[in-house]
Parts: sequence; structure tokens; C-alpha cells
Amino acid sequence: MLRVTGGKVFDPANGINGEVRDLCVDQGRFVGSVDGGKTIDATGMVIFPGGVDVHTHVAGGSINFARAMTPEDHRRTQAFIRTKTRRSGIGGMAPTTFATGYLYAGMGFTTVNEAAVPVLSARHTHEELSDIPIVDKSSLVLMANNEILLDLIEKGELERAKQVLAWYVSSAKAYGVKAVNPGGVAAWKYGNDAKTLTETISGYKTLTPGNVVTNLAKLVDELGFPHPIHLHCNNLGAPGNISTTIETMKHLEGHRAHLAHLQYHAYGGDDWTTMRSEAAQLAEYFNAHPNMTTDAGAVLFGDTVTITADGPWQHLLYKLTGRKWGNLDVENETGCGIVPYTYKPSNLVNAVQWAVGLELLLLIDDPWRVFLSTDHPNGACFWRYPEIVKLLMCADFRNECMRKLPVSIMNKITLPEITREYTLYEIATIMSAGPARALGLKQKGNLGIGADADIVIYNQEDDVEHMFGHPRYVIKGGEVVIEEGEIRETPDGREFIVQPKYESDTEAFLQPLFEELYTMQFENYPVEMERIEHPDIQECVPVE
Amino acid sequence: MQKSKHLPAGRKDRTMVLVDIRETKSVKASDVFLQVRPGKDFELITLLRAMLREQKVTDDQIAETGLTREQCVDFLDRAKAAKFGVFFFGMGLSMTRGKHMNSAALLTLAAELNAFTKFVAMPMRGHGNVTGADVIMRWQTGYPFGITFNRGYPRYNPGEFSTVDVLVRGDTDCAFIIGADPGATMPQPAIDHMAKVPTIVLDPHVTHTSKLAKVHITTAPAGIAAPGTAYRMDEIPLPLKPAIDSPYPSDEEVVRRINEAVAQKADWLGTRPQSIQHQPIS
Repeated sequence: MLRVTGGKVFDPANGINGEVRDLCVDQGRFVGSVDGGKTIDATGMVIFPGGVDVHTHVAGGSINFARAMTPEDHRRTQAFIRTKTRRSGIGGMAPTTFATGYLYAGMGFTTVNEAAVPVLSARHTHEELSDIPIVDKSSLVLMANNEILLDLIEKGELERAKQVLAWYVSSAKAYGVKAVNPGGVAAWKYGNDAKTLTETISGYKTLTPGNVVTNLAKLVDELGFPHPIHLHCNNLGAPGNISTTIETMKHLEGHRAHLAHLQYHAYGGDDWTTMRSEAAQLAEYFNAHPNMTTDAGAVLFGDTVTITADGPWQHLLYKLTGRKWGNLDVENETGCGIVPYTYKPSNLVNAVQWAVGLELLLLIDDPWRVFLSTDHPNGACFWRYPEIVKLLMCADFRNECMRKLPVSIMNKITLPEITREYTLYEIATIMSAGPARALGLKQKGNLGIGADADIVIYNQEDDVEHMFGHPRYVIKGGEVVIEEGEIRETPDGREFIVQPKYESDTEAFLQPLFEELYTMQFENYPVEMERIEHPDIQECVPVE
Repeated sequence: MQKSKHLPAGRKDRTMVLVDIRETKSVKASDVFLQVRPGKDFELITLLRAMLREQKVTDDQIAETGLTREQCVDFLDRAKAAKFGVFFFGMGLSMTRGKHMNSAALLTLAAELNAFTKFVAMPMRGHGNVTGADVIMRWQTGYPFGITFNRGYPRYNPGEFSTVDVLVRGDTDCAFIIGADPGATMPQPAIDHMAKVPTIVLDPHVTHTSKLAKVHITTAPAGIAAPGTAYRMDEIPLPLKPAIDSPYPSDEEVVRRINEAVAQKADWLGTRPQSIQHQPIS
């Protein structure tokens, strides 16, 4: 039992904006009142619900490949020394699993969503997720380049496709569906890409990325996953890709959708020298279409490593940078590319990217629909989120940072004209309440009675970067895990999964296809439930 | 061989080129055999890279590798014309003259071939679950092997902290060997050191290492009598399902019990800082 008294509470899910309230916790959840137990006096402090990261890459084959590729970064970065209650680890661009839990919790985050898991290696991802302490986790499986599913969509067998999709998600013990560069990763097997929504995908007769986008969104809604289709649009990162992005959003009308890291999809211009921000155009369309949510995928200057299932893009980035390049193909399901990268303020393209991420966060007017993310580790590492909070809350600081950019960039971006400053209430929305709602996790991002007792207590400071980087207390499921900047406890987190129902003949349909296409035995493919540490099954409710 | 949508004729749709220093039994299974002179792998790969970029290469330079210009040109033509190419490489490349430089050269050649077609390189791992150990070390410590924890956090330096180097230098006062037989393969000074210090071996069988060990705990063989996970060479995890029962405990069970006993001891780290901060490059 625990009481937190006297703090200024910011709880957007319940409309509480800085009022002084007491919070009572029993059995890991919020309750109306408690008798006895520990009391934390939070007088003068700021209280948020635990942070929720809607889009991050912290576990599985691709981030683990990135770890192998960057020993030079591990060497100079933050190291966690083993103690009685804590394992050792390495922070940096691609933190090790234990360190990932400590770094997220240390920043007040208590729920993270691993956004790209191939079903074939889902077993690996779950093993890593169970080695990430403190935070609760969920994962999304990659489905937009799966040959069996694409064949069914091409043939128009949508009912069968729906059953197969349910089987895949259920087998992977995933929480939802991720679509990366629909058709483009499949085309990469032929050395091609899919840059528009209307051209036929390499290897198919009639199927286009547009068909895949619309049908996947529809199937996910019909199956009623708590989180809608999580879409990484086609033509990521390319100058002029705004037209592809708007076209994608038109294909999503009538369906729920979460568009990942829109920063990488909001560019105008024809080539790298003329590339400019189209965040204003994107935000205008987005604001008018309430069926969608997004996360910023913001960029911060500095070293990082880019990892994505978007194989063709990573080959291009390798050619552009001449740095290390890792490529992985996951049989007939998906692929992945890894390239270390340094975002520099002196680089015009990087400067535009930096501005676009902030512009999207500032121009999308509903904080319930745009969330804090860096597409970790692509735009920047997740442990740098407090820097973004400062950029959003302090227009003066933003202007100061802009003065360091090349002068020639000023007619390519709209950031200098924006005066909006986020309030604490809005920060609590984009960092916690909003992403929790988009993920369909009612018990998260919420300080109401019955919700999980994930609480962050900050000292109120003028330097918001320091304030958000150094919470005074972090409480996870009623347990104090961070106190005075020290890690106190490292409990296991839970994994949120869904178990959608599928027709009983689905396995009989899939088995012969499997034996033809896969190198793994059909019965070895589904991840066994006992391999999931603390599974928490969420309900599927079909969307009307 | 597996037939697929992309290669409907199976083996007939594939081309296999074998590169080795001598004719092995694998020659029969391959379409092309290239006999490279021992220790000339780096030179050959570098010449192929140059020829790929249409840079000038002399016949003498090629002859030094044991191959002819025709063979090199034919190889590159086949590689460029392939829809999807893979280099599989093993210890013959990575542990001979040039060592990691050879591997690096091959990886670069694979990357550069992507200017023409899809090409990748994949190491052929040793027997057993080497890849699995690699994968797990990476997610827990950031490094695949050659790791020391002697300062309380993982540090990496192959050649200094690799098993063989630590043993040859005699840096350990205890050795714990699980599912491996270094007593059969490592240099004599390393073996001598293992015999000198308390060495504990977990293995289903009697091995060279178990014979020199102070303690040998017989364990159930994974995948036969103990469940678990093995990672395939391409890092895809496969579940291991035991076919028979064993009276012996699994490796995992033994390690867990040793760990529990060690946890009862006083913490040797004492009071130290919790972390070391990021050190930016100046």
C-alpha cells in the first residue's frame, strides 16, 4: 500500500490539469483510499502517469544486429555496473536489454511497444523482451510483405486473409500488426522498391501497395485488435514523398490507423538539395481526419544507428554515407537494414528533418493524436526524449537552436513562424495518456481508480530537460523503482498480447503452403505461451 | 533441395561455387570449383573488388592467387547475373593469414556487389548452438564474445579477453566450461592452465576437457533429453523438444543452482558507483 500526497497531478485521461490530489495504491492499482502503508510527500512536485512509448525498437533480431555492429559506441557510452539488485549493461545507441529497462524507467517510462517483429523470429524477440526489466511491453508483427498474405490479398480472398492474419498474430503472441513499406520489402527481394501506391509490386500481377494498405487496415479493424494498423508508409525519407504520404492517408479513410514516425514522410522538393518541409501540408490534412494517430519520429542531432525493415532505403543510406551496412532477409516474411548514422546541424537534409519532427508535434493541434517518439534508435535514442520536451515547451530555446542551422534552410522550413509552447498537461498527453489510448491500453497512461499504479514524480524545475530526465520517484505497479536518481528495484514487466480467434480450418490451409515456402517445421513456428513471461491477454473488439 | 516461388526447379535453379585450397568432397556437389593458393584469400577478394570496379589488374597479380583471369571474370559475371547471391564463409577464411581482415574484405565485396544485384554474406558457424550464445551475449552485454566483467560491466576486446587469450596468459583462477571441448582444440599452454586451476565441465559426454577437469557434471543433451532453444545460422530460433527422458539435469538447471549458491555469498563488488557516464568524442 502506498499514498502519494500533495503533488500537482497531470492526468489528461481524467481531465485533471495540475490540481493537487492524493493518489492511493493497493495491489499495484489505484484505489479510492488506503489505510497505512508508505506515504510519499510530493508537496510542490509534479505528478504524471508513467510514460508510454508507442513506437520503439528495443528487442529482436534487428536491434541485436545493430548492437553487434557498434562496439565502438558501447565502449564510450554509459555503462551500468552490476549491483546486488541490478544486472550490468551498456547504454548508448543500441542499449542492451537490462540497460533498456533501467534507462526507460529512469526517464519515467513504464510501457514500451516494440514496433517491428518478424513472426519467424518472434521467439527471439520475446526472449529479449523478458530480459527488459521494470517496463511493461507489447510487440507488433510485420505483415505487409508476407508472401502468403499478399498472395491472398491479390486473389481477393479477404476472408481467408483475415483468418491467416489472426493465426499469424496469435502464433507470434503479438499485440498487433505493423506494416512497413507495404510491398516494398517484398520487391527488395528483386532489388526493387515500391515508391507509389498505384504501381504493381515486383513479383505480382495486379497487387499494389495501395491494395495492401487498405485491406490490412480493414482486416485489423474487423479482427478488432486494440491497436489499429501501425503503418510505416511507402517512400520513407525521400524528397517529395509528401504526395505518397497523403495518398496513403486517403487509402486509409474509413479505417483506424496509426502512422509511424511521420517526420520521415513529410518532405517536399525533388532532390537532396531542394528538399524542404511539408509538415504544414501534412498537418492540415491530418488535423481534418480524426481516424488517424501518429508519432513524431523526431530527429535530434548526434550519433545514432538506423534500423528498419525497409531494406531498400537502408541500401540507399549505405551508399549515401559509405558507412557500415547490415542487411538481413527473413525468409519470405520481411527484411531489415542497419546503418550507423550521424545527424549534423550543418547538413541541410538533417536540419530539415530536425525541423519537420518538431513542426509536426507543434502543428498537429490535437495532442491526443500525435505522440512523442524518435523512432528509437532511428531519429535519436529514446533516452534523449527530455531534450524534445524542452524544445516543445520553450520557444526561446527552439529559436536559439535554430540560429545554429544554415541560413539557407530558413525558406525550407516553417518552424521559425511557430510560437506554440506545450503545457505540462499537453506533454503528459503526448508522452503518456495519448499513446496509451492509441495502443488501446486503458490501464496505462491513466491515474484513475483501477488503472495500473505507474506514477512519475518530478521536481518542478525551470530547466524542463533536467526535470524530465531526472524524475524524483518512479513507481511501477505500486512499487518504487527509482528514488532520488537511484534504481531501487528491478521487477519483471508484463507482456501485453492478443489471441484473436480464427477458423478451425486455417491451419489445414496453411500447413501445405508452409512446407513449400518455409524452412521451419509448421509445428515449431508458433511461439509457445509458456515462453512469454507474465502474459497479459487483451481483448479484441471488432470495430464497426 | 527446397523449391520455391522464386526458384521453382530447386537445385537446378541454383549455382554453387566452391572456393578452397584443396579438392574436398564438396567439389562434387558444386558447379564451379576455384582452388585458391593457401593464404591468398585477402589478395583474391581484393582483386575481385578491383575487377568489379573495372580497375586495372595484372595477370601476374591474379596468378599469385592460384586462379586465372578467366576464372575471376566468370565468377564475377555469375555473381552479377544472380538474382540473389550469398557468400558462406568459415574458419578457413577467418582463422588463416589475415584473419578478420579476410572476413572484412569479403563483407565489403558482398556490399559492393549490391550495386548490381542482391548479395549477402553469412558466416558458417561451428557445431552446436554457437549462434545462440552469440545472440544472447549481444542482447545482454552488447558484444558477441571476448567479454570481461572484471570491472562490473561488460568490456570487449578480442585477442585480450577471448577464452584462448585469457587461458594462455593464465589470467583465471577457475574455469567453467559448458558444452564445449577446448581441451581438444586449444593450444597447449591454454590446456595446461585448465589442468592447473579448478576446472568445472558440464557435458553429457566424457571429453578431453572433462578428463583434465576437477569436476565433471554430466548433463542431459539439449534437444535429445533436455528442452531449450537453438539459433540457426541465420539467427532464427528453433525450439528444442526432448525425445527421451534423462536421469541427468539440464545445463540450465545446473547453472541456475550454482548461481543460487553463489548469490548467497557476499557481494565482491563492494561499494562502487552505479554507472559510468557517456564519454562524448571531443
